[in-house]
Amino acid sequence: MRRAIGHIGRLLLGLVFLAAGLLKAIDPAEFARQIGAYGMVGAGTAGLAAPILIALEVTLGVLLVAGAWPRAATLAGVVLLLLFIGVEAYGIRAGKTESCGCFGAYVQRTPAQVIVEDLVFIGFGLLALWGLKGWDGMRAGRALKTVAIAATLGLALAIASPALPIDPWVTALRVGRRVADLPVAAQLSDVGEGRALVAVLDVADPAAAGIAGTLNDLVPRPGMPRVLALTPADDEALAAFQWTALPAFEVRHVDRPVLKRLYRRLPRYFLLEGGRVRTVYDDAAPEAAELIGTEGS
Amino acid sequence: MKRSILRHSVVGGVLVLAVGWLAAPAQQSQSVTCRPNYDFSVEVDGVFPRDALFYQSETRGSGRYFIDIPACKDGLLMDLGARKIFAVPRTLVSRADNGGVVVREVPAQGAAYALAIEGPVINFKAEQKKVRIMPVLMRPPLTGPIELATLVADRPEYRAGMKAYAPHPESIDAIRKSGKPIEIEAFFGTWCGHCKEYMPKFLRVVEECKSAIKLNLVGVPKNFGDQPGPWQGKSVQTIPTIIVKSEGREITRLGSQPGATPETELAGILRALQ
Repeated sequence: MRRAIGHIGRLLLGLVFLAAGLLKAIDPAEFARQIGAYGMVGAGTAGLAAPILIALEVTLGVLLVAGAWPRAATLAGVVLLLLFIGVEAYGIRAGKTESCGCFGAYVQRTPAQVIVEDLVFIGFGLLALWGLKGWDGMRAGRALKTVAIAATLGLALAIASPALPIDPWVTALRVGRRVADLPVAAQLSDVGEGRALVAVLDVADPAAAGIAGTLNDLVPRPGMPRVLALTPADDEALAAFQWTALPAFEVRHVDRPVLKRLYRRLPRYFLLEGGRVRTVYDDAAPEAAELIGTEGS
Repeated sequence: MKRSILRHSVVGGVLVLAVGWLAAPAQQSQSVTCRPNYDFSVEVDGVFPRDALFYQSETRGSGRYFIDIPACKDGLLMDLGARKIFAVPRTLVSRADNGGVVVREVPAQGAAYALAIEGPVINFKAEQKKVRIMPVLMRPPLTGPIELATLVADRPEYRAGMKAYAPHPESIDAIRKSGKPIEIEAFFGTWCGHCKEYMPKFLRVVEECKSAIKLNLVGVPKNFGDQPGPWQGKSVQTIPTIIVKSEGREITRLGSQPGATPETELAGILRALQ
């Protein structure tokens, strides 16, 4: 019985780490931003720490699920969770209320919720440590191979993920989706059944002025859909953008956690028509001919 | 041959310059239709005059904005393309039906002032007055208990938002006729974008149902979690927080998500109370 409880604890903790690592790997850049938002390390360090943490969590998850060095892996997992609790406590003390990114960019948690969650996960770990006393799991040679493969795959996934074409599955923006079902439905309520090209962009990004220039060229052309932009940037960045880029289109602020559900990388564009997402464009705005050509077809 | 080319070049150059010189004032004298923009505030010599308003051209991307400062003799047309503020005699500015203005002509020979852009703020000096245009959320916040009339007088964005909102008449009727007065404690921030969207709608409802709603309005500072004030001990985590009370006891809180209609929510609460 005791052994069975230990295995349940091990498997639960392993699955938690595996899920956390894989969900973070969907959007490592956002995870790096979230690490940086705690203010404990600079952006460069956060950018480096993000793929390493992802690889570490994936490796721990695989080790626990596979039963490789179970007690050592559980102990490492518990230490990591205690470290996370410390970071969250620091976040609360610093007045941070936004999501931690513990389960990637698409699962929102406040620091207080995370601490409770982590304590439950530590409970799984303690059950595993108690129940698996005397159980060594797989042989050392195989365990070593498992570590090497899991770490390599975890790191490769974190590095390659931004280039993988998985956006339609991991973001809320996909062709055919009704505008009313988008997380930004309230912000697009005035578009109705009409045609609109929506640019999702960070106006605080130095490249935004160039994007505004491209969109400004589209706006006055006959047959062009209405153009508008959604940005997670704050009011001050929006004002600075307005004064310097002179956008010929409306720019609306949307809270970052809401808008984040539409993208992994910015900029992203989508064409609305008949109350649905008709086309999604990544990285570059569509050509004018493409937009005029799609009307009514 | 060489001389002829030179002569033609000089004549051509002079013609281009002449056309350019003629075209420049012609372009500047085009009429500009503007509508009010309540996302920005006009600060004049360190204060925010109640009637100083900021307008933006109907033609997006033109970089033209009109600034109306009652204490200034002239109206001011800001042209971000030219990086200048042009003085426009008030006789050349007329009011439009939508609350906007039409600048019929910008005199080519009038006064012009240089402007400086510092991030979100535009600075310039006109008629010896130091003017700053900034996002309304950057204004120093109103904090502590505040009267509705004071808020409305101080903040054009709230004034305009209240005027623009059209609550559902049936819900307003239902609130007025409920016969059970309710007390509402509303925590908000004049620095908060969500509050700027939601609060004018809510305040319009309160204004239309004065007899049925007793309102305690409290402005919270940024970092209100670390500062003492009436928001403490009331689980005010985010703003706006609208606490609905009946007979001194909290019964519920209103939702302030985009698209929320406070009058239908309040009417529903009052129906449930009966």
